[in-house]
This record gives sequence, C-alpha cells and structure tokens, in this order.
Amino acid sequence: MLALSQPIQPQTADRRLAVQAIGLHKSYGTGASAFLALDDVSIDIAENEFFTLLGPSGCGKTTLLRLIAGFNFPTNGQILLRGKDIAALPPFRRPINTVFQNYALFPHMSVAENIGFGLKMLGWTKSRSVDRVAAMLKLVRMETLADRRTSEISGGQQQRVALARALAPQPEVLLLDEPLSALDYKLRKEMQVELKRLQTETGITFIFVTHDQEEALAMSDRIAVMNRGRVLQVGRPREIYNAPVDRFVADFIGESNILSGRLVGQAAADAHQVRIAGAVATAYGKAGTSGDGTVQVLIRPEHVDVLDSPSSDCIPAVVEDEVFVGTDTRLQLRLNDGSTFTARLTNSPEQEKIRTSGTQVWLRIHSHSARLLGGDHVQHR
Amino acid sequence: MSSIAEMAATRRTAEGRRRWLLKAPALATIVIASVGPLAVMLVYSVMAKGAFGGVALGHFSLDGWTNVFVERDPFDDTLVLADANLIIFWRSIKLALVATLATLLIGFPTAYYIATRPEQVRSQWMLLITIPFWTNLLIRTFAIMGLLSNQGPVNNILIWAGLIDKPMQMLFTDGAVLLGLVYVYLPLMVLPIYASLERMDFNLVEAGYDLYATRSKVLWHIVIPSCKPGLIAGSILVFIPAIGAYVTPRVLGGGKNMMMGNLIELQFGQGRNWPLGAALSICLLVIVTVALIIYIRGSSGKENAHGG
Ligand SMILES: Nc1ncnc2c1ncn2[C@@H]1O[C@H](COP(=O)(O)OP(=O)(O)OP(=O)(O)O)[C@@H](O)[C@H]1O
Ligand SMILES: [Mg+2]
Repeated sequence: MLALSQPIQPQTADRRLAVQAIGLHKSYGTGASAFLALDDVSIDIAENEFFTLLGPSGCGKTTLLRLIAGFNFPTNGQILLRGKDIAALPPFRRPINTVFQNYALFPHMSVAENIGFGLKMLGWTKSRSVDRVAAMLKLVRMETLADRRTSEISGGQQQRVALARALAPQPEVLLLDEPLSALDYKLRKEMQVELKRLQTETGITFIFVTHDQEEALAMSDRIAVMNRGRVLQVGRPREIYNAPVDRFVADFIGESNILSGRLVGQAAADAHQVRIAGAVATAYGKAGTSGDGTVQVLIRPEHVDVLDSPSSDCIPAVVEDEVFVGTDTRLQLRLNDGSTFTARLTNSPEQEKIRTSGTQVWLRIHSHSARLLGGDHVQHR
Repeated sequence: MSSIAEMAATRRTAEGRRRWLLKAPALATIVIASVGPLAVMLVYSVMAKGAFGGVALGHFSLDGWTNVFVERDPFDDTLVLADANLIIFWRSIKLALVATLATLLIGFPTAYYIATRPEQVRSQWMLLITIPFWTNLLIRTFAIMGLLSNQGPVNNILIWAGLIDKPMQMLFTDGAVLLGLVYVYLPLMVLPIYASLERMDFNLVEAGYDLYATRSKVLWHIVIPSCKPGLIAGSILVFIPAIGAYVTPRVLGGGKNMMMGNLIELQFGQGRNWPLGAALSICLLVIVTVALIIYIRGSSGKENAHGG
C-alpha cells in the first residue's frame, strides 16, 4: 500500500526487506559486570514473512525484540525498517507493535477501549476508530465481549485482545514475545492456527518469539535459532530440521542422535564415508574434523530401519527399552561403542513386532539422512 | 426428643458466646476509641456551658450550636452572624484544599521519580522521605518559623540579592500556614502514591509507548489511572489532618490566622465554652465526611465513565 511513496529498497531474493538487523550488540551493565545479551546479530526479515526467533531461555530473544520495538537501544549495530535506520525513533514513532508476553492489557479500560487505544493515540476520528475496532473484534472473534473489563475475560481471550490491540493500527511489523506460552496445550494449538491465519490475512510481517521448537517448525516461514546471544542458523523449517549447522541446533530442534564417527573417505563433494560404531555410512554436509579425524554425525530417530538380521553397512545395536507412543514405537538402543541411540518406528497393525530388551538388531540408515555437523564447536566467547 | 432440642440450644448459645468473645476486642476498641468519644461530644454540645469550663450536666441548651453560626452582640444584645467563626471555617477548607492540591502536584512527580529508580536506590529514597517524621512536628514547625521570620535566612537572601529592600512579612500569613501544611504532610502524599506506582505493571507504560502514546499521553491515560487508589489515599491522608491542623497555624499563623483546630482549642481553653467547642468539632467532622463523600464519588464516577 505504501510502496509507491517509498524509495525502492535493495532486494534480497524477490522480496523487500521489512527489518534488517546489522551487527547488533547489546550489553547490559557496564565494566566488569557487563553482560553481552546479543553478540553480533545480523538478520534480514522479509516483508510479509512469519519469522521466528527460537532459542532457549535467556538466549536474548526478548532483548532483540525490545531493540526492534525501541524500548532499548543497541550497544552497537543498526536496525533498519524498510531500509531506513530507526535508531532515532522512539517506540511511539515506530510503525511496529508488540504483543507482550504477559499481554499488558490496560486494566482500567474495556476490551474495545484497549483495542482502540493505539488509534486514539494516532488521532483517528471516533467513527473511523469505532469501525476499525469492530473489524478487529471480528477478526479475533471477540465481538460479544467488547464491553467487558480485561480482568473479566479468560487467558485465551486476553491473548486475542492483545493481538487485536496490536494489529488495529496496521503496523508494518508485529512483534510477538512468546504470546502462546501462558495458554494450555489445546488452546495453544488453536491459537497457532489462528495466528497463522491472521498473518496471512493481514499481510503484516510477524516476528514471533518462542522457545518451543515444535511451534516454530509448524508456524514459521523462516526460523532463526539463537543461543547465548548469537544467531546460529537462519532458514526455513525444513532446512533447519534436515540440515542443522551444528550440534546445538541439531539437539534443540527435534529429536536427534548425535554419534561420533571417523572419516574414512570422500564419496562426493559434500558426502563423506564415516565409520560409526562398527559400520561405514555416507554422511552429508561439511566435514568439520577436529584434527584427529573424528566427526559428529546427526541421525534423526525416524531415519533408520531396524532389521532383525545383519546386512551390509548396518550398525549393530542391542534393544534396551521399547515404548509404545501411539503412532510410533520408540526403541531405546545401545550401540557397540557404548553410545545410546533412539529409533522411531511408525506403527501399523499388520507388522507390529515386539522386541524385548536384549534383542540384537541392525540399524540401516536411510540414504541422504546422516548429517555431518560442523564439529563440536561450542560458542567461543 | 426434648434433650436433642436442648442440646442444640446449648450448643447454639455456646457458639454465640464464643462469637461474642471473638468480636469483643474489636467492639471494645470501636466503642472506647470512636463511638464513645463521639457520643460524649454530642452530649456536651447540647448542654449549657459551665461557668469555669466544662458543661453544666443535665442543663440542656442549644447555645453551643447556635453560637457556631450566630453570636450575641455584647452591647445591644442582638444576634449577629458569627463571621469570625465562618471566616475560620472557610480558611480551613481553603488551606486544606490548596495544601492537598500542592502536595499532590509535588508528591506525584516525587513518587514517580522514586518508583522508577533501581530497586536498591528506591528504599534509600523512601528512607529520606520518611526522615522528617522522626523529628517532632513542633520542632519542624519552629524551624520553618525561623526560616520565614523577618530576620530569617529567606528575607536575608532576598535583601542580599537586592530583590527587596526591607524584610517582607512572611510569617503569620496564610501563605506561611500553607507552606507549613505542605511541608508537614507531603510524605503522607508521597507514600501511598509510591506504593501504588510500585505495584503498577510497568509493562503497561511500554505498551502505551508501543501504541503511539507520547510520554505525556502515557502519563495521563495510563500511569495516572493506574495509580488512582494511591492518589485518592494520599489526598485523604493529607486533607483530613490538614483541615484540623493545630500546631502549624498556631505557630506559623500567629494568633490571627486561626484554623478550626485553633478555634476549637480556644473554646476548651480560654473561651471556656465547651458546648461550642464540641459543636465545632462535630462541624469539622461533618465537613470532612462530606468532602470525602464528594471526593470519592467524583473520582469513582470518572472511572465508571472510563468503563464506557
Ligand atoms: N535489564 C537487564 N539487565 C541485565 N541483564 C539482562 C536484562 N535483561 C535481560 N538480561 C539478560 O540478558 C539475557 C537475555 O535475556 P532475554 O530476556 O533477552 O532472554 P530471552 O531469550 O527472552 O529468554 P526467555 O525465553 O526466558 O524469555 C539473559 O541472560 C538475561 O539475564
Ligand atoms: Mg523473553
């Protein structure tokens, strides 16, 4: 809508950038007690994107959001909104709205007044604002509760009001700080769908914070995985899941078996022969050897077949435990180098097989599914 | 059959007794400290005055009450309006209101400043705010008297700066009384406002900024409504003692600029008119009650309007 009045921005891929963080550093405190909460964070977020910041507690997700919203200032680095540096703009001049983790609804106002607050502050006329509030109430399906006090509605409803309030002024970017973490499982699933719908319908760029990897995978266009103030990997959910750059990302997203192996040869440009627990497998990705030729190999639990008789290039293993979890059966195995391995087998009634503890089995790794991890590099700082 | 009913009855009386015993301390406090004295005042106000103070018990008279508003002219015995009393009423109300407003205007920014400091610094500030309370009221008031007197530092500085050429009469004016009231009661305003600001969720302020409210709009639309209970409590805590103040107007207002507290004291002392004193006290009580009702109605009404 605003495209014509704005200078054309440099393009990445084929989409314009909504938010760019360039070399952001943020330290809290000064001198010896200073704490580096963001360490050289650079990300590009495209317009219309559902972008997720994912990482464990304390990794700096909220800090990054607060810098974008303007509540805090970076120690170093730049934030661009549609190509323009917004360092000088206070939060109330940034066309960016936030859904706060605890919602921060105004307790002395009704639901409708909360939603209309931003419009009132922007100087919208009464009638225009009334229409917009009504449309927002409809969007979040809260029409019947417009006159309630915010203390008189449920957590899920408060969540919707917070969303409607932040969406009402049609911001260019919406920041959501773990908006679903306070909801119960079922409501959370519903709101995930709802949020995705709202994002598509409004076409607003969402920057969504969560520490729930499943939520991130399900909702995002792209994910930035963070740890200890750094962005480790940015990519589409599939990329992150299938090709994590390092052990942390592999471990944090989904279930993973990370085995150490030894390089024995190269099969192709990005494929290596690796000896793991007595068998040789082909693993993909860059080989980050740690001098002595050992490498880390990621194998997802669902990427193996469990055979009852030996076969070439299979890893021998002994069953330690078997857990039935509905759609899947989870096998807890021990390899002959002493490491543990989890395998996940899809259940189907005709080929159900019960393997008792102590049974000898052989694991066949699906082709293209063993991943080399870029060494065991822990964050250096 | 009857025994069951009897047992139930004894149990009921036992329980009743127990309940009374539990309530007794509270009731005793209320009767001894509140209802009792009030009753005594009421009774005294409708008795004839005793010749050397006190009241002539058993001699019913409404003189105490009529003397609040009218008095007998000593020369021709006609009834004239007791305008001295009414002027004092008016001054008390006016000074108490202005003092409340002034403490509100000074106290709110102070409390806000303290509430937005880091946690450790906050308690130090609160300590500083309460330190004046540790000193006797009379001493603090005399200190102000010293400051404002004709040879006091304030006049000296003004003369030295060449702003005036002879001492300005500051002591024994309404202004001096007002200054004293504001100084003495300011902490009573700061404390409750601070308490409600400290309880306020500062995320709301950020939410306000996020939704395009400038600093002044955040203050007006979010901070002030959120700490309204503190503003109300502070105003009540200042207004009530200010309207009945005794020491401050006595010391800083001299004999002329009396407030109701001084007028009442006069009746029980030199005036030897206890019924009038009692009636005046009840008037003060009524004024305070009415003011409180108006104030609380007004402020909660505004809140309802907010609710739409
Ligand atoms: N105001 C502050 N002063 C000092 N340190 C802070 C401050 N705010 C955050 N931190 C520190 O910065 C780090 C990052 O905090 P941040 O709130 O961004 O984490 P987060 O990723 O949002 O975590 P969570 O998932 O728990 O919300 C934490 O270690 C935290 O202790
Ligand atoms: Mg956080």
